[in-house]
Amino acid sequence: MRKNDILKGTLVLLVLRTLASGRKMHGYAITSHIQQISDLLLRVEEGSLYPALHRMEQEGWLRAEWGTTEKKRDARFYSLTAKGRKQLAEEQESWSRLTEGVARVLRGPMEAK
Amino acid sequence: MAWLDRVWNVLRRARLQRDLNRELSFHLTEKIEELEAGGMSQSEAVRTARLQLGNVTKYVERTREMDIHRLLENTLRNLRQAFRALAKAPGFTATVVATLALGIGANSAVFSAIWAVLLRPLPFPEPDQLVQLAQSNPKMKAPFVAPVRLADWNRLNTTFQSMTGYYTEEASEISGELPERLTRAFVARRFLETMGVAPVLGRDFTPAEEHFGGPTVVLISDRYWRRRFNSDPNVTGKTVRFGKTFVPIVGVLPANFQFPRPGVDLWSPSPDDAPFAHSRELTWYTAIGRMKPGVTLAQARSNLAAVQAGLGREFPKTDAQISAAIEPLKETTVGSARSSLVILFGSVSLLLLIACTNVAALLLSRATARQQEIAVRFSLGASRGSVIGHVLAEVFVLSISGAALALLLAEAGVRAFRSLAANLPRVTDIVLDWRIVLYSLVCALFATLACGLFPAIRGADRDLADSARGTRTIFSGGGRAQFVLVGVQVSLAVTLLAGAGLLVRSLQQLGRVSPGFQPERVLTFQVSSSWGETSDMRAERRRVDRTLERIQALPGVEATATTMDLPGIASDYQVELMVEEGRAETEPKVIAEGRAISPGYFATLGIPLLAGEVCREEPGIYTMMVNRTFANRYFRASPVGLHLSQPNNMYLPKSVIRGVVADARELGIHREPAPTVYWCFSPGQPGTHYLARTHGDPRAMSEPIRRAVHEIEPLRSVFDVAPLADQISDAYDENRMRTILLGFFAAAAVLLAYVGLYGTISYSVNVRQREVGLKLALGAMRTRIVGQFLSQGLLVAALGCSGGIVLALALTRFLSGMLFGVSAKDPMTLTGVVIAVLVVSTIASLLPSIRASRVEPIEVLREE
Repeated sequence: MRKNDILKGTLVLLVLRTLASGRKMHGYAITSHIQQISDLLLRVEEGSLYPALHRMEQEGWLRAEWGTTEKKRDARFYSLTAKGRKQLAEEQESWSRLTEGVARVLRGPMEAK
Repeated sequence: MAWLDRVWNVLRRARLQRDLNRELSFHLTEKIEELEAGGMSQSEAVRTARLQLGNVTKYVERTREMDIHRLLENTLRNLRQAFRALAKAPGFTATVVATLALGIGANSAVFSAIWAVLLRPLPFPEPDQLVQLAQSNPKMKAPFVAPVRLADWNRLNTTFQSMTGYYTEEASEISGELPERLTRAFVARRFLETMGVAPVLGRDFTPAEEHFGGPTVVLISDRYWRRRFNSDPNVTGKTVRFGKTFVPIVGVLPANFQFPRPGVDLWSPSPDDAPFAHSRELTWYTAIGRMKPGVTLAQARSNLAAVQAGLGREFPKTDAQISAAIEPLKETTVGSARSSLVILFGSVSLLLLIACTNVAALLLSRATARQQEIAVRFSLGASRGSVIGHVLAEVFVLSISGAALALLLAEAGVRAFRSLAANLPRVTDIVLDWRIVLYSLVCALFATLACGLFPAIRGADRDLADSARGTRTIFSGGGRAQFVLVGVQVSLAVTLLAGAGLLVRSLQQLGRVSPGFQPERVLTFQVSSSWGETSDMRAERRRVDRTLERIQALPGVEATATTMDLPGIASDYQVELMVEEGRAETEPKVIAEGRAISPGYFATLGIPLLAGEVCREEPGIYTMMVNRTFANRYFRASPVGLHLSQPNNMYLPKSVIRGVVADARELGIHREPAPTVYWCFSPGQPGTHYLARTHGDPRAMSEPIRRAVHEIEPLRSVFDVAPLADQISDAYDENRMRTILLGFFAAAAVLLAYVGLYGTISYSVNVRQREVGLKLALGAMRTRIVGQFLSQGLLVAALGCSGGIVLALALTRFLSGMLFGVSAKDPMTLTGVVIAVLVVSTIASLLPSIRASRVEPIEVLREE
């Protein structure tokens, strides 16, 4: 099966949700986490992940700091800020509204030709 | 603060780049490890990981963009574009930059003087605690304090940490080949403690040295130590020689310690328990006090007033009339320079305002000329903000370049200042330092906003820009705004010119005054002596007489005299006199300026005798002369033969008036002669001025006189040799500096107004070329065209002048204390100023107007 590239705009939501656990995670861990949880259905493109992470940091949703991994490698760890938590709630809300709407349309009757 | 972060990030790109690379390479490493764990070979894993990650550089670029503020990137781009655009308009750029440089440079130079002289704290620890103390008496101002009284004040007060006093004399140090004149300060106890300094080498005075009869020692200045002792670290114990005594050096004071004044090289203790120091009537200390921390000036004043009131009860005869005066030391040091500096600062601020107005007018013209370009920007989708930003960036580049050039100008200005105002307190401290650079930059920023904002907003007016798209002949409101700006310039220029005019007129009037004496061909000098010698007055008088005789005998010398105060130079010594022959209670008290002179004084200075005879040295009798004002004010009949005495002054006993002389402006050329008495008595104390009237150029006699004095007084040095006319002129240094600088600022203001008017009319001519061409084609006279533009310029100038006169009338009253023989509203000066400005305006308007009339109708009309 073809892995789904993440829909534009949902990456932020996924990252926020991933970090909602409160753990500090580096970019690689975030990628793996999303892929694992979605049973490899979703694939995060590195090309979008890092610009997104930095933008979210500038928006004040994430806090970033340098630290060392268990394998003693330097990595940049991200964690959620209070502002980020609020943003997550908002995005979740609008996402469920979107899927709900899309689902209704899909379930609805076909337009007659 | 995400916004600030991004701004910050612009400034540390390299760091950002490194961090990003680190972050991504971590990602890559993890990925490779994972792939290897999945069973791939290392090289394959690396390849796959790289492939998956894709173009790293592109990510870095994109991620970096997220970290950097868009606005700042735009700003930098705007600046780059501004540089390019300005380089294409060199004439415009040069005019604007030069105008700003003039405005900012002059401002920075004057500010540097204000900073150094008025604002900078004095160079002592906790300088705000230092005050100058004086004893004042309702009858006269006495700047000095009796040592015993100072000791009482110091003992009885509760608001001061310590008080001290000093006096200075010129000493002749003779251990070298030639006697060297040095200034020596004699200081009371607690001097270094009060000033808050310690010797950098050696020690302070010991209590034994501060007692009368104790060993005499000196502390020397850092300057003298370097010059004379070649910075010898073992200088303590060496000696300096005065007369027959060798005085050991006990220490060296820090280089920045120049108190009481910059020329002092030696400090010695002045024992306040000396027999002559017990008098409550003899005053000679200049007194300094250091207030306790947290004590205000008012508290110190009331405390010392109470102390002195107590002394008044204890010693009613000597102290009841006296009160203690306290002024901040800084005020007594620099206060005299304040009014001049403030006036100059006001003037340069007006000049800067004119420069800004000028630049604003020029920018407006440019903005209008660029309407087409701006219209194109709008139609390509630029926002109003971005267009304003674009114009402001240009102004910013202009004002920063202006500020850079201004600093060069200010540097030159500072040098001019130092040479023009050599007598200004702390003048050697005037330098350009980082504060002045900062100040210039702030000025530049102010200029950017003041000159740029209005033209930028106007220039970015979408409607105006729209109208530009269709046709090239625009009649914009910009023209009107420019004329308003030019009018403002003219009025400010008139104001400055009026101020300068009044000062110049004062200086002229001062030159016309007849001082009542003849300062030409008189040489003045001093001969070193010490206060110690004054204990034998008779020997002193003999010494002075011998010196005068020797000089008098020189060929080329007509007359000689001594005086305690140079004539024509501000100095006050007011005394109250008693008429021995009696005086009715109802008659006014006899108060006069007192001068001690030798009998040759009147002949040397050419002051004519009006009644009686010129005093001579008469054995056993003290004689005096009075001036006409004194005789007329206090006596109905001739005062010759009356005896005057000064209560409480044992040094000037009862004297008989031998004659009346004409009034001379002794107190300063600008001051009316006051009632004056002359004691015919050459005391020879330190500070005595010798006068010699010469046949020819007085300067030519300075060497013969120096040699003659050296012959008979080989241990003394002759110093301060200068023609009297120069001495008087030096005393008016500040006056002249003020006038020259204000004149320069006014000239610059008029020049700027000229440029402004010329530029605006030229612009108007350019814009209306087609209209002019059309008129000419329809048969209009060329003179009419000239008249049309000329009258436009003159109207603006006339309105500006009337505004300027109103402003001048409001502002010149600040000058009133500095004017002499001319009122602050002097109609002649104001009329002259208006005429001058109108003439300049006419020239400024005429040139472009004539150019307008030379338009070839066919060419202009064909261009369409």
